[in-house]
Amino acid sequence: MKVQKATSPNIIAFCCAQSAYQAADAAGFMRLSYPDNIRVIRVPCAGRIDVLHILKAFEKGVDGVLVLGCHEEACRHLLGNIRAKNRVQKAKSLLQEVGIDGRRVEMFTLAPNQGPRFATIASEMTERIKELDSMKPQG
Amino acid sequence: MDKDLKLGIFLCDCGGTLSKDIDFSLIKTKLDKLPDVTFVNIGHGLCLKAAREAMQKDIKDKGIDRVVIAACSPEFCENDFMNVIQAAGLNPYLLSIANIREQCFWAHPDKEKAAQKAIAQIGMAISKARFLEPVEQAEAPVTKEVLVIGGGITGIQTAIELSNLNLKTTLIEKEAALGGKLNRLASLYPIQAIPQELLATKLKQLAERQNIDALTSAELIDISGEVGNFTARIKRGKKELERNFGAIIFTTGYDTKFSNQAYGFELSDIIITPSQLEPMLMSTSEVKEIPGRVCFILDVGDEHSRVSTISALRNALGVRQKFGSEVSILCRNLKVDSATLESFYRDCRSQGVLFIKFDKPPKISNEDGRIRIEVEDILMAGQPISLPCDLLVVEETSVPPRDSDVLSSALNIGLGPQGFYQENNVHLYPTLSNREGIFFAGNCHADLDMMRALTEASNVALNAYQLLSQGKVTVEAERVAIDPGKCRFCLTCIRACPHHAIRDVRVNHEKMVAQIVDLACQGCGICTVVCPAKAIKFKDWSDDQILAELELVEG
Repeated sequence: MKVQKATSPNIIAFCCAQSAYQAADAAGFMRLSYPDNIRVIRVPCAGRIDVLHILKAFEKGVDGVLVLGCHEEACRHLLGNIRAKNRVQKAKSLLQEVGIDGRRVEMFTLAPNQGPRFATIASEMTERIKELDSMKPQG
Repeated sequence: MDKDLKLGIFLCDCGGTLSKDIDFSLIKTKLDKLPDVTFVNIGHGLCLKAAREAMQKDIKDKGIDRVVIAACSPEFCENDFMNVIQAAGLNPYLLSIANIREQCFWAHPDKEKAAQKAIAQIGMAISKARFLEPVEQAEAPVTKEVLVIGGGITGIQTAIELSNLNLKTTLIEKEAALGGKLNRLASLYPIQAIPQELLATKLKQLAERQNIDALTSAELIDISGEVGNFTARIKRGKKELERNFGAIIFTTGYDTKFSNQAYGFELSDIIITPSQLEPMLMSTSEVKEIPGRVCFILDVGDEHSRVSTISALRNALGVRQKFGSEVSILCRNLKVDSATLESFYRDCRSQGVLFIKFDKPPKISNEDGRIRIEVEDILMAGQPISLPCDLLVVEETSVPPRDSDVLSSALNIGLGPQGFYQENNVHLYPTLSNREGIFFAGNCHADLDMMRALTEASNVALNAYQLLSQGKVTVEAERVAIDPGKCRFCLTCIRACPHHAIRDVRVNHEKMVAQIVDLACQGCGICTVVCPAKAIKFKDWSDDQILAELELVEG
């Protein structure tokens, strides 16, 4: 299976099933349009996401990674979202070391009813990645 | 990964709504070409009974061993489809769902692009399906007994409800008598009864039940074990007893405290708290000096709670009726968010209770044994008012009962920012703790009026019933499992587990390893990530599955 390089950047969104995944669903209910380059991977808790998963995504050729979890102090598993936040920071510094802009991975928090916020995050991240792509030296 | 898989893909066009602009047969032709795909079917509503029966037949006839469903969000359909494929003789965990409705066709108006995304999503689901593993079910025995901690009205009601559901209940209370605050209150709201009479009725009910064991002057020392089989050590006088329980319910309520920091003055004969006022209202003996004017003050420190609003309104009316004094309530803003509380507020007003709303905290001074309150009334455009009064009733804040921090760290259950017990999720699971089998009800975890506390009592009794009624619980065996060969017993997972679901065991009389308790595990996967030896495998969210999903399939 090959990685398809689409015209718009490929973005993977790891979504916590307790909140962000439901927010993505809510965006669908409300027929909110957001860029179709987002691929959602459902995880049981943001704390399930390892630095390895984020780095592997870049290895597969993904242009950006979103980690979406519950708001702080609202994690069903107490500190899952805080753990995820720390891991995203770790991943950012590792990516910087190998010459990939750390801004390509970001953690956001949402509640299950925040469909509009999901759509905004998806659009903003797409814009950010496009901007970072345009800054890359050509050829 | 198994070499020869027989993948069955079931597309659902949601009653034709999704295939309006897009020809699903084009998607089908693309999917047909993928390796290992045995069968692709387009259904018009897989949630219908006929479609499900057809699906079961297809799974059986074609010998499909991995099912991929492209339909609505797994949040809605996952459990249903797990049951469907289980009925077809396949392990329910051999299912992978692509969400092509909410997160694809509904979100993207450009149908061509949406179709491309749908194919990519199905591709992700297929690559995940290759790494799926069956998870077997097992039965775990549970003790059909419940421990209720705290003998206030919520605890008593919980015990009665549990007894109605035929669960043997032990109710423990640290004080010498049951009833908690009902013994000391002068009136109640929203339930309009004399507190002591209500308590007497409830205690009579309690005494009639054979299956309730109420222990007073008893304190919980320690709980060990897991959901279904907790062992509690209870101290009663000099004796210590040990009992087994399947579930534990906290109804420890709250304590009240006057914090003089916000007010800047101490309590005295003429500045009192509601808990000092209520015995005066209850006493039948003649009062020597009837106060001419009584003021209640709220909101000087933090915003007032629901409990203190109701207490101020109840007592204001009580003072008005008993002493006939002039009564004023000073507050920033009165929140009447309990059932019928608005009409209670109107009652208070019609009986002559005066409400003064302020923005700046009022100045309070002592003037020859009387109190003078200077306040700017915002309803009168900031007009300064000087109010002499004979008795000032200040607000008491609710604080957690004294030993809740000790219990919470001993039991590994969370505390919220104010030190009350933290429920698992305020909206979705208001009575569940972060540990399976431990529940909260009443004011030990939230600011509730009495109706709400009693509603929670029945709610929590049903929660316990759901868990224990069969005497056994079916669980997914080793859904998350630790490989004892790899485990170095570093304790990282035991510390990280938010649900206290990992315990230490000795294997073959020598090595200590960590082991996951299936019944207590809530499947968050945090341990899988933190384990430095990568000894923990999460069967239905394994690393292999997550990484497989990253392989974007060409559309």
